[in-house]
Amino acid sequence: MNNAIVRATCAVAAAVMLYVSGCSSKDRNAVVVYVSEDQVFSEPVLRDFEKETGIRVKAVYDTEEAKSAGVMNRLLAEKDNPQADVYWAYEPIRAALLSQQGIAAAYQSPSALGIPAHFKNPQGYWTGFSARARVLIVNKSAPDKPTSILAYADPAFKGKAVIANPLFGTTTTEIAALFTLWGDEKAKAFLAGMKRNGVKVATSNGESADFVASGQFTFALVDSDDAANRMVQGKPVEMIYPDQGENEPGCFIVPNAVVLINGGPHPDAGKKLVDYLLSRETERKLAQSDAAQIPLHAGVETPAAVRKIESFKTMQIDYATVARKMQEIQPLLKEWAGL
Amino acid sequence: MMARRSVLIIAVLLLAVIGLAPMVVMFARSITVDGGLSLEFYRNLMASDRPWRLLGNSLTLASLVALLSTLLGVSLGIVLGKTDIPLRRLFTLLFTLPLLIPSYITALSWADVLGGSGLASHFVSAAWIKTASALLFGLPGCVLVLASTFMPVVMLATMIYLRTINPRLEEAARLVSRPSGVLRAITIPLIRPGIVLAATLVFLLALGDFGVPTFLRVDVFPTESFTQFSAFYNFGAATAAAVPLAILTIAVLGGEQLFLRHRTDELRPASGGDDLPRLRLGRGKPLVVIAVAVLCLVIVVIPLIALLVQSGSAGAYIRALHTVGDSLVRSLVLAAVGATALTILGFFVGYLIHTRALAVWRAVDAWTVLLFALPSTVIGIGLIALWNRPATNLIYATPLMILLGYLAQYTALTSRATVAGLALVPASMEEAAAVTGAGWVRRVILIVVPLVRRTLMGGWLIAYIFCLRDTGITMLVYPPGYDTLPVRILTLMANGAPDLIAAASVLMIVATVVPLAILALILGKQRRSR
Repeated sequence: MNNAIVRATCAVAAAVMLYVSGCSSKDRNAVVVYVSEDQVFSEPVLRDFEKETGIRVKAVYDTEEAKSAGVMNRLLAEKDNPQADVYWAYEPIRAALLSQQGIAAAYQSPSALGIPAHFKNPQGYWTGFSARARVLIVNKSAPDKPTSILAYADPAFKGKAVIANPLFGTTTTEIAALFTLWGDEKAKAFLAGMKRNGVKVATSNGESADFVASGQFTFALVDSDDAANRMVQGKPVEMIYPDQGENEPGCFIVPNAVVLINGGPHPDAGKKLVDYLLSRETERKLAQSDAAQIPLHAGVETPAAVRKIESFKTMQIDYATVARKMQEIQPLLKEWAGL
Repeated sequence: MMARRSVLIIAVLLLAVIGLAPMVVMFARSITVDGGLSLEFYRNLMASDRPWRLLGNSLTLASLVALLSTLLGVSLGIVLGKTDIPLRRLFTLLFTLPLLIPSYITALSWADVLGGSGLASHFVSAAWIKTASALLFGLPGCVLVLASTFMPVVMLATMIYLRTINPRLEEAARLVSRPSGVLRAITIPLIRPGIVLAATLVFLLALGDFGVPTFLRVDVFPTESFTQFSAFYNFGAATAAAVPLAILTIAVLGGEQLFLRHRTDELRPASGGDDLPRLRLGRGKPLVVIAVAVLCLVIVVIPLIALLVQSGSAGAYIRALHTVGDSLVRSLVLAAVGATALTILGFFVGYLIHTRALAVWRAVDAWTVLLFALPSTVIGIGLIALWNRPATNLIYATPLMILLGYLAQYTALTSRATVAGLALVPASMEEAAAVTGAGWVRRVILIVVPLVRRTLMGGWLIAYIFCLRDTGITMLVYPPGYDTLPVRILTLMANGAPDLIAAASVLMIVATVVPLAILALILGKQRRSR
């Protein structure tokens, strides 16, 4: 009896050890991707890639809501012995940071040919696709609706606005973009105006959108997928593309960005995944999904709710310059946010 | 003697490699700038008054959570563990539930109840919901969520320690005093070490918690470390920001040790059986039952109902199973393996601390608790820095990394449980076996382990719960394609369907409760067969 128990225990222990040690990233027909685009949107695309190519996708997910702390810190900590082949970033600035750290590899994907030049790194260290617009989500019951991000500093909207913590995510990116567009003086004055106007700082874009949906605030600057998601849920909100007037800068665009990792374990499969993500078909899927993302290839079929990139005015900025500016202004943003 | 020394040295070395080395790597980064020694990160940290303010907030929060948890936990522990209240097993299970699920899920379910358009908004006025919502998203809400999450630690500790009291002491006191007097003068003082230990644990857990305060908008000190990691990607500065928490932990532990220094117990040997003499509640029984039921309703049932309502239909559960089924299986396997490894390592570390067999016993004890209190991001990055090398890829690229993370952070749970168990075993039993010629290994296997079996099982259960609900370390070290259920829920929360997330959270609760219930049944059956 005792021998039987010992044998059974050993068998279970062996099975468990095999289970916990049997998933090495050295699997040849696989690709390892770190993803900071929301899992609900990215996972179906990666599953389709698996089905179509037979290459197994091993993913590590993170979210903008969690500030991408998981995958960015992993990529940086793993710099000397990379485990990932591809990084699917929810915006290009962190991707640009990786290229500055020597973590990204240059790769000019054939799928990127139709993507406008200012949405990709000239050397191919990162390439943008399927964008979100930075929009104003506005509660439908508001009597006056803002049309510009300058409304944040407008006394008419005092105490009525909320913004995600500018130290994290796409809000940092947009503030850095404003610094490059306006210059330091005007951008700092804008931040000071926001503070005077009693702008509430939320933990994330999603929380900002929820504040507006629940009527606690009139408007917030969020990503278009956050606004679209609340509209799909039937919340009393609408989406306004800001700054579309003649002398206004246009709406800030945040494309996803894909990065091939330098020295990743499966470079060929990594390139195939990069090609797949940058394809028109992937852009079509992300436009059709609840992410409602805007294709960067011209002529990709989109649902009625997704505006085509050429149908509205976009902010003209250089993402590499924004990346450098973002690092420069972060101490200022930390102080502004009281962190 | 040689065998004992060798085994304990191996346990200490294991702990050093798994837990100490990553911390040394991280600490070295915190005192290095551009390759030279520097205290710049520490100077920057203390350059403004903000860290002090945040430290004040953290101390206030942790103190309030520890106080509320202790008041409620001790009261419930005594009522459920010492009196003849009906349905005590059901109540115990229900009150334990919040500990079994990640605290961010509890916070989320409270937001589903008291948020602007939450469940309560259908039943009460807009003004009331506005006030309740303002309270939830602030210090009071944070205390409520964390206290309901960690209160079971105190409640269970109280119930376990009640079993250790020598019944003769209470019987003797009962000859001259009423039951309430016996409780006040004999019972509570005797279980005070257990209460202090549990309250300390709750204080440290609340002090290090980051997710709930962030969700409920309370600025706390761990934000400093998190901001350095997630906005600046500065590992050195992030570690420096974790050091004040480590110092606080050492201070709290020192206080605990001081409190327990001169204590002598008259405890009974560990025994099985539900043979506690129970206090009769008499005419007060209905009132006590109502009080316990109302408390259970408020801190357990309402948030649970919010989750069930949010999950909506059976369809959501089928979708959730389809979406998170693989993560669920991985979670269960890893938690079981992790708990087993923690129980084994914790046993030897606890044995070392109890017997003081090596001179380093006090340092080992402090180190395990320090690791328990450190931000998981610091431990996670330390593990990556140490293990992500071509030579160790066979370990790094596998779930063994998750297990190493569990061992690094949670050994204090099982080592402390072992110490508590060994305190009930008279040294004479092992000594008698030694006199008859039994070697140390035989004595441990045949005498010590069977005598502390129940404590070890309790330690395994606690370790299982903490491994199962872990997100901090797992998020950083899980191998690609190998996420666990709490991590999957966390990543699905960003723009995921609310019903799917609620259903996945309910599955998480069921996955935790079912194995525990099976284990409880097995233990109960064994007890009855004796």
